[in-house]
Amino acid sequence: MAQWKRKDLLGLYDLSAEEITFILDTAAEFKKVSQRRVKKVPALRGMTVVNFFVEPSTRTRVSFELAEQRLSADIVNMQAQASSLLKGETLLDTVKNIEALQVDLVVMRHSAPGAQNFIAKNLKCGVVNAGDGAHEHPTQALLDLFTIRERLGAFKGLNVSIIGDIVHSRVARSNIWGLLKLGANVTVAGPSTLVPREFEEIGVRVCHNLRDAVADADVVNMLRIQHERQNSGFFPSIGEYAAWFGIKTSTLRDMKPNALIMHPGPINRDVELAGEVADGPNSVILEQVTNGLAVRMAVLFLVAGCRK
Amino acid sequence: MKEILFKNARVIDPARGLDAVGDVGVSEGKFAAPEALKSPEVVDLTGKVLSPGFIDIHVHLRQPGNTTAETVASGSRAAAAGGFTSIVAMPNTNPPADTAGAIEYLRRVAEEQAVVRVLPCGNMSKGGKGEEMAGIGSLKAAGVVALSDDGRCIQDHSLMRHVVEYAKSFGLPILDHCEEVTLAAGGVMNEGKWSVLLGMNGIAGASEELIIARNILFAKQIGWRIHMQHVSTAGSAEMLRRARAEGIPVSGEATPHHLTLTDECIKYFDTNYKMNPPLRSESDRQALIAAVADGTITVIATDHAPHTATAKLVEFDNAPFGIIGLETAFPLCFTELVASGVIPVEKLIEKFTVGPAEVLGLRDYSLSEGNPADVTVIDPKAEYVIDKAKFFSKSRNTPFDGRVVRGRVEMTMVGGRIVYRDGRIV
Amino acid sequence: MNSYAQLYDAEQTMRGVRELARQIERHFSVPRCDFALVGIHQMGVPLAKLLCRELAAGGRAPEFGQLDITMYRDDIGTRSMLPRINETVIPFDVNDREIILVDDVLSSGRTIRAALDALTDYGRPGLIRLAVLVDRGEPEFPIRADFTAFRVTLPPERKVMVRFEPDADFPAGIFDVNWHRNQ
Repeated sequence: MAQWKRKDLLGLYDLSAEEITFILDTAAEFKKVSQRRVKKVPALRGMTVVNFFVEPSTRTRVSFELAEQRLSADIVNMQAQASSLLKGETLLDTVKNIEALQVDLVVMRHSAPGAQNFIAKNLKCGVVNAGDGAHEHPTQALLDLFTIRERLGAFKGLNVSIIGDIVHSRVARSNIWGLLKLGANVTVAGPSTLVPREFEEIGVRVCHNLRDAVADADVVNMLRIQHERQNSGFFPSIGEYAAWFGIKTSTLRDMKPNALIMHPGPINRDVELAGEVADGPNSVILEQVTNGLAVRMAVLFLVAGCRK
Repeated sequence: MKEILFKNARVIDPARGLDAVGDVGVSEGKFAAPEALKSPEVVDLTGKVLSPGFIDIHVHLRQPGNTTAETVASGSRAAAAGGFTSIVAMPNTNPPADTAGAIEYLRRVAEEQAVVRVLPCGNMSKGGKGEEMAGIGSLKAAGVVALSDDGRCIQDHSLMRHVVEYAKSFGLPILDHCEEVTLAAGGVMNEGKWSVLLGMNGIAGASEELIIARNILFAKQIGWRIHMQHVSTAGSAEMLRRARAEGIPVSGEATPHHLTLTDECIKYFDTNYKMNPPLRSESDRQALIAAVADGTITVIATDHAPHTATAKLVEFDNAPFGIIGLETAFPLCFTELVASGVIPVEKLIEKFTVGPAEVLGLRDYSLSEGNPADVTVIDPKAEYVIDKAKFFSKSRNTPFDGRVVRGRVEMTMVGGRIVYRDGRIV
Repeated sequence: MNSYAQLYDAEQTMRGVRELARQIERHFSVPRCDFALVGIHQMGVPLAKLLCRELAAGGRAPEFGQLDITMYRDDIGTRSMLPRINETVIPFDVNDREIILVDDVLSSGRTIRAALDALTDYGRPGLIRLAVLVDRGEPEFPIRADFTAFRVTLPPERKVMVRFEPDADFPAGIFDVNWHRNQ
């Protein structure tokens, strides 16, 4: 398989290992574009991309916007509060109205899991999922995979631990699907209230002890902890969370010396990740951001490149 | 009124333990001895099954309040097409059926427009809000057959206890939607492997089980019948089994969808798989089938919940709960339970006839001479594809479109009048 | 099913490659080494490698680069699927450099149009020339080859391909793909 045939990217659950590798290979070439003096290619010239964010986002939106600009696409940004959703229009009507303006691609974020699947099924234009509730965030996982592959080469037998609020995390889910398909061993860890045992049913190791989670890890992907989870009674306090599940400089002693530390951002410094570790030699956090641009260029190029 | 003689049918009459090939006579709207008929129209039912008319004790007719989704007229036609001769209309209409006036309105509309018997059910609490007791005495006087806050569940245990005590004095059975709200809050599907994988908020099985446990305690303490609507978990079934073995007056119903589908169906985000209680795991489904087979669950009820296409054509999180079920209930259960060999057909017919009749306290729900002639005729050999375009319901929110089923409803007779025959409302 | 008809065998094709190399040598008549060959994916790359080897044998050692033009195509969004993007490697500064673009077949000229855009995004070359093994003679764009070994005239729906042995040391021949359609 050396070809791409999908009009949408909705999640990594749907993709084969070959398709994921195909995206990563394509992204490698797009990464070089951003390293040139002319950081732009005419690939999507004349095409229109709408960034439709029905949930606030800065980083992901900026990364997508820049990716679109570097592909020479025309861009429109729509925010939920600016859209007509507040006037009682259904989501599908809103998006169909966007499509009727001869848009080629919709990059969409929404708080409801599966909202993009629902939209993609009802639209002719392509849909790229920029995060749907706690379901999937495929471009984030792809940039994580890209970063791991660039640093460590292959996935087979690699130990990757994802630590934090797994149950509410779309980043975790997309990473789990991608890593499993590519042959890595995946561990999820964090407080038992935030890390459901059900993940074991798909071959993921579940653990509730930070030391066990990081000991054999080649990659540790730390997730952001949301402060509102404390109010919902998932754990007693941010302080206690940081004490038991945050990575501190001392945690590095329990880890493989060359283990990669990743984080999808934005970081709560000294909560899930000590500032020194985030800025230390194991951290690839800023590389993730750089690679995110390349991965999003590749994804947009591939889904836009297929005839609808 | 003319006379009808059904000949050569396999007559299944669970209340009398009858299962034999024979003839059934109808005269003046009542069952009559075949030999007493003078010049009846003869209907040959060779190879068909004839039983007392089916009763669905869990139907939402949406009138008044949401007549775009369903009306008494359309819902009753859907019922007739599904073989149901009596349906219990849930009170969560808008305005809700919590007053005598609302019940009288429903009875009048039903009398004018319905083709099957529409039995009104009144709210337990005012507005179904679970805060104050509804006027149960006047509801009784207006003609309700049961009480329910379906769609919601009284969380105030003290109020619930008083409702059960008060209902007992009026002889009204309680049909309870069992759901503890804090464990279900924000949930849109079963809490389990699939909610975890899909990142959706789950509704814990314990939410249902807590209230079932409560209701068993009250039924025992007060000595009055509490019927558990749409039982969905293995744990609920087990509690019900033990309570019934102890002789506590509780009963339970299962819906066709909980017996045929699981939460895995939700992985494509089709909102026609969104209902409350949610589709549970395969082990729950198997436990429900076992509970139907061993008699723990005595009723199959549809929880027929019509919603417009617009209402369901939204993100899964924002879709309303519920699917329609009247026109698919029997063939789905026949296929899943009888054709597959889990239970014999007479046992399934029990769940559609004497089971619900017992919950409502109806005596002698049978084909005995002199009883109102409510009849359902089934062709157990007919195999067909469910086609929602042919439904009589105003709504189409079903996940079963395109499914191949066996056991077609051929004819429905209410009070001696054939209301549905060969795909048409008569 | 595609059928193949051989237009030139391996030996003839190799002679064509040498002829191309000689034309390039003649053009750069003063022995100079600061020009570069840039092969266009797919088949321009092994061809450019071969040319480099031939030129090296003649005392010249041009720099070598490879270019993928997929991001510069003019048919993105009109194809049912996209081909894999191959690696672009331009290991030298293109500014003011004399560059010979190398492709196996000049057909519509659209690939060369895209290649010119792609290459100039890396800098401002001093001069660009085009070398192709096969010129089909009927470009859709005003683009002509400066160096060419074979001229093949076939209807436009027929596809001409140069094939190389897997190690790219030697060409396998020049083929008329889809020839059966007109048989």
